[in-house]
Amino acid sequence: MARILEFILNGRKRLDAVPDNRLLLDYLRETVGLTGTKTGCDGGECGACTVLVDDQPTLSCLTLAASVAGKRVDTVESLGANGALSAVQQGFHEKLGSQCGYCTPGFIMASAGLLRKNPKPSEEEIRSALGSNICRCTGYVKIIEAVQHAAKLYAAGEARP
Amino acid sequence: MEALSEFDLLRPTTLAGVLEARSAHPNSRLLGGGTDLLVNIRRGIVAPPVLIDVTGVGELRCMKADAHGLEIGACVTLTEIAGHAGVARIYPVVAQAAASIAGPTHRNMGTLGGNLCLDTRCIFYNQSEWWRQANNHCLKTTGDMCHVAPKSRGVCFATFSGDLAPALLTLGAEVDLLGPGGRRSLPLRELYIGVARHDEKATGGDGKNYLALKQGEIVTAVRARHEPGLRSAYDKVRIRRSIEYPVAGVAVALRRDGETLADLRVAITGTNPRPVLLEGTQALCGGKLDAGVFKGLDELVRDQIMSMKTTFTPGHYRRRVAGVLARRLVTRLFGQG
Amino acid sequence: MNEITPIHPIGAYVPMVDGPEKVSGRAKYTADFIQPGALAGRIYRSPYAHAEIIEVDISQAAKVPGVAAIVTGADCDKTFGVLPIARSEHPLARDKVRYRGEPVAAVAAVDAETAEKAVRLIKMKVRELPAYFTAKEALAPHAVLLHEKKPGNIEREVDFELGSVADGLASADLVREATYNCAEVCQNQMEMHAALADYDAVRDRITVHASTQVPYYVHLMLAQILDMDMSRIRVVKPFVGGGFGCRTECLNIELITALLARKAGGAVRTVISREETFITHRGRPETDIRMKIGMRKDGRITAVECECIQRGGAHSGYGVVTILYSGSMLYAIYDLHNVKYVGKRVLTNTPPCGAFRGHGTVDVRFAFESLLDEMAGELGIDPFAVRRANYLTAPTFTDNDLMVNSYGLPECIDWVEKESGWQARKGKLGPVDGKRKGLGFACSHYISGASKPVNWTGEPHATVKLKLDFDGSIVVLTGAADIGQGSSTILVQAVAEVLGLDISRVRIVSGDSDVVPKDNGSYSSRVTFIVGNAAIDAANKLKNMLIAAAARRLEAEPGDIECLGETYRAGAQDKGLTFEEVVGEALKDGGTITVTGTYSTIPESHGGKKYRGSAIGGTMGYSYSAQVVEVSVDEETGVVTVDKVWVAHDCGKALNRLTVEGQVQGSVWMGMGQAMSEEAAYHDGLLVTANMLDYRVPTIEDSPPIAVGIVESNDPHGPFGAKEAGEGSLAAFLPALTNAIADATGGLRFNDLPVTPDRVFAAIDKRQRAQARGKSGGGA
Repeated sequence: MARILEFILNGRKRLDAVPDNRLLLDYLRETVGLTGTKTGCDGGECGACTVLVDDQPTLSCLTLAASVAGKRVDTVESLGANGALSAVQQGFHEKLGSQCGYCTPGFIMASAGLLRKNPKPSEEEIRSALGSNICRCTGYVKIIEAVQHAAKLYAAGEARP
Repeated sequence: MEALSEFDLLRPTTLAGVLEARSAHPNSRLLGGGTDLLVNIRRGIVAPPVLIDVTGVGELRCMKADAHGLEIGACVTLTEIAGHAGVARIYPVVAQAAASIAGPTHRNMGTLGGNLCLDTRCIFYNQSEWWRQANNHCLKTTGDMCHVAPKSRGVCFATFSGDLAPALLTLGAEVDLLGPGGRRSLPLRELYIGVARHDEKATGGDGKNYLALKQGEIVTAVRARHEPGLRSAYDKVRIRRSIEYPVAGVAVALRRDGETLADLRVAITGTNPRPVLLEGTQALCGGKLDAGVFKGLDELVRDQIMSMKTTFTPGHYRRRVAGVLARRLVTRLFGQG
Repeated sequence: MNEITPIHPIGAYVPMVDGPEKVSGRAKYTADFIQPGALAGRIYRSPYAHAEIIEVDISQAAKVPGVAAIVTGADCDKTFGVLPIARSEHPLARDKVRYRGEPVAAVAAVDAETAEKAVRLIKMKVRELPAYFTAKEALAPHAVLLHEKKPGNIEREVDFELGSVADGLASADLVREATYNCAEVCQNQMEMHAALADYDAVRDRITVHASTQVPYYVHLMLAQILDMDMSRIRVVKPFVGGGFGCRTECLNIELITALLARKAGGAVRTVISREETFITHRGRPETDIRMKIGMRKDGRITAVECECIQRGGAHSGYGVVTILYSGSMLYAIYDLHNVKYVGKRVLTNTPPCGAFRGHGTVDVRFAFESLLDEMAGELGIDPFAVRRANYLTAPTFTDNDLMVNSYGLPECIDWVEKESGWQARKGKLGPVDGKRKGLGFACSHYISGASKPVNWTGEPHATVKLKLDFDGSIVVLTGAADIGQGSSTILVQAVAEVLGLDISRVRIVSGDSDVVPKDNGSYSSRVTFIVGNAAIDAANKLKNMLIAAAARRLEAEPGDIECLGETYRAGAQDKGLTFEEVVGEALKDGGTITVTGTYSTIPESHGGKKYRGSAIGGTMGYSYSAQVVEVSVDEETGVVTVDKVWVAHDCGKALNRLTVEGQVQGSVWMGMGQAMSEEAAYHDGLLVTANMLDYRVPTIEDSPPIAVGIVESNDPHGPFGAKEAGEGSLAAFLPALTNAIADATGGLRFNDLPVTPDRVFAAIDKRQRAQARGKSGGGA
């Protein structure tokens, strides 16, 4: 069965016909064309597909597109204003929180979810907020520095994380 | 793109609507956070024709934790449970268990109901369709053999790995069910029938048939009475500190009366086809917390914890480390100010 | 006086030039090219471990509406493989299947569901053969051969002795021998394998987007498998989500997708699952090692005997090189003589292994450094002193003819000793929260690119082109594959440095065979050293042209022209010319300027011919690493926590301190995964751990702070003195960890990896039982 899905995607109202068995991840990538959100595993094991649903980090690979009806979904493409990088994006870029970049959108969305709730997280809070995401390049050291840097930028008045 | 099996999604907003959908579609499955069911659908382990998304049902979202008691609706998320001040203060074992499940994003999605009814797990079962077919399937699906125990004569040993169940078992929780026949409540202990022993035909349960739910019945909430003086905590061992299921998880609740161990309850997950509330802990109470109690506790673990090669970590270790965690938690709680 | 200084991007903290794309989601990886009309590819894989194929029945699958093409082994009788001497693999099995999961057929259909449906209808009839899942089983007498031409199921046997082990052992004060087992591990890079092939039937041309470290090797293999002229093939390497050696050879997915596209006469996109990515494999083989070392009282090593057996899987892959490296790379870190090595690369009915980060060196280094530590303890010498007693003196050639020109190991060792507070803290870390603490130390090294390319063509080892046009921007054209390690950034920095310009003037285009010069690819840490030198050569040529133009315009001699980046002038009093003015002048000759820079390794680095396998391990520069690992061990649960790591890495010269730190941290951490939790395990040849729950890559909650010290030994041949930074620090973690655990637990040695809690628990339990029986404790 298919249905009409109405929701807010990256701040804009969206209306699409989607089959009931379409994952939010596949919907974002293949129907909408937002390929920033990545597929990294066969379900719930890596966090590369993390998006925000009503500001809450969510695995889009284990979410049905139809179930976000009426909600707000933000992907990595929503961050930053007027083409500039958001605080989290800037943090990941400048501190090398991203090497190959494949896990990066997931980490960035999980970090954005954290900073929106807790703008000044401790190192321990950063670690526990990013515990669902796997990175194979960095050893996470610079990811933690990236989020700390982002928190500073955010505090200094940069765009919302 | 993932080629998911075909299904229809229903999204009722009332309990009555859920019941109606259930009776109209007997082979339907309930969808909560999706962190268990959708993984299994993606692996081709199950292919329900209808999913009933229950996350929009307000009646399943109650959350109460005070000096009268604890009540959590089936659709309350693990993040909400872990972050609830009342739960953390009065029922710490529940908050600790919830906070330890999988990883933070999983907890944003996963629900109480999903964790209580978590499908049992096994390295021969949680595999792709291609893998299971190449391995001639297994008892828990369509096969006629258990690869964990080839001589099991029809008994499946898949392991229960939910963390909330042991926590709630130590609180003597009850679970509220709703089905075509109406509402009923069960001691949570009786929800789990995965005894998996040839000599206990009474329950007939094993790793495949592990819940006492009747056809069409759903879990709506769990409740526990507040017991003054009861101290509780949860701990578990994992190979990694996030994402994965417990190698072994242990919940302990006890009461101390002066120097006397007045009450003791220990429940263990990640080992048997059910969360095991150890039987015989009452017999260890009534005296000081001495070596005899620990020896007795060790024996209960040894006799009642049966961990088979269902996970990648050897069963022997899972049983032994469960005993270690139990001893530690008992010591810590007893010594608490 | 005009104070104008050129810009020096080299040595700074420079964020990656392609970072903004990655953090914004704009970076496109192969699977992100979702083009309308492209067919979906799906692979049918063998459920059998070892069998003769009688029939592959695709008749039912072909009837599924929406299926555009099906290919089987019948569609291609050619073989592929990275080494010209070991091309045993068909993209789709013919005659025989040799491991569970080997591709047998593939379907291209209008969408994924249809392709999946068709794959389910493919049937295979076989005659099963005995299958071997361990090296021991495959080596047993009378075992059925996996490959006709490989007697004994041995892919390659290596056996050399340089000096006399007998003499060396005779002069030792202590001789010890131990065995080690390292589990098979997988790269598990975050991007699952994907390929997009677009066949142009009108022109008989094909374009393949490949997620690869080696676009040129993919190009070669596509030509071979498709039996197509190379000029008709275009290979595009978009953003790649990590490789770690998994993608240092052409994989079957690229070839299968191309076969499908040609048969269907259009575009086919294949994205395989995480499970299939694991099965495609090319990881580090399970390795059994017997290590014997002779040592004098002062720590001087007198002899080494090493036996190494690798379970290579069903095809060679890089296997021949792996087993050779494991022997030859015993050298070039310490001053060794009297070394004997026996290596066996075994063919088994498991997925083919390959070249995983630290290729060939890691497991042997683990064994060596573990035994060294144990022997130091027995002799009562400090583990640092043992290493110091065996330093090389650069420049030198080792007994196996490896050329060592720079050697920063002593400085690495000094750094970690000081920063970790080793001398003050070792043995004095009391229990914390009931956990016992320990410190461990070890070293490792790696090559900066193999001196001899896999495919010897006689061309330079690397070619880089620079284009300068009217707009004044410089474009670097390179075939070097940035797979996340930051090679594009390094090349941009190198060019900008030579020209004294800000990196914003320099852009880079890589990874499209239509546009860029051929490059051998990103493996064995070759790009910074070899391609970096070619980039410098190109930049110098361009600079000379610009100086000549400036001289012409300023009516001065080229020798009098100062190049100050944005300004060229003839002496300090001269107001000079802007960069744009110089470019304008330079273009007058022939319009758009392109220059070509090249680099070739020197023959002295190629290794001699003194013994079999001598040519392996030769490189222009070895990197060195030393590590101290601090652990806590919960003796009741067996859970080990890594509290902190100090690592010093001699990368010759840090061209980019940010990316050097990132590479070193990533290496250490990847070593941690192998040491503590990762393992590819099989059930009757079925990969049980082909998912990211059971294949346990450490999470952020498991990962320690890693303090990095950069040691700059300034290699005489390295680009600006640089050597590799992305692999050499992996291996040392493994022995440093087990040495730390031994320190924490009063001497329990863990010689089998990974050291999971159940193994630690079992060893402690065993010791307690032994102690309870009144006997002394034993090892693990």
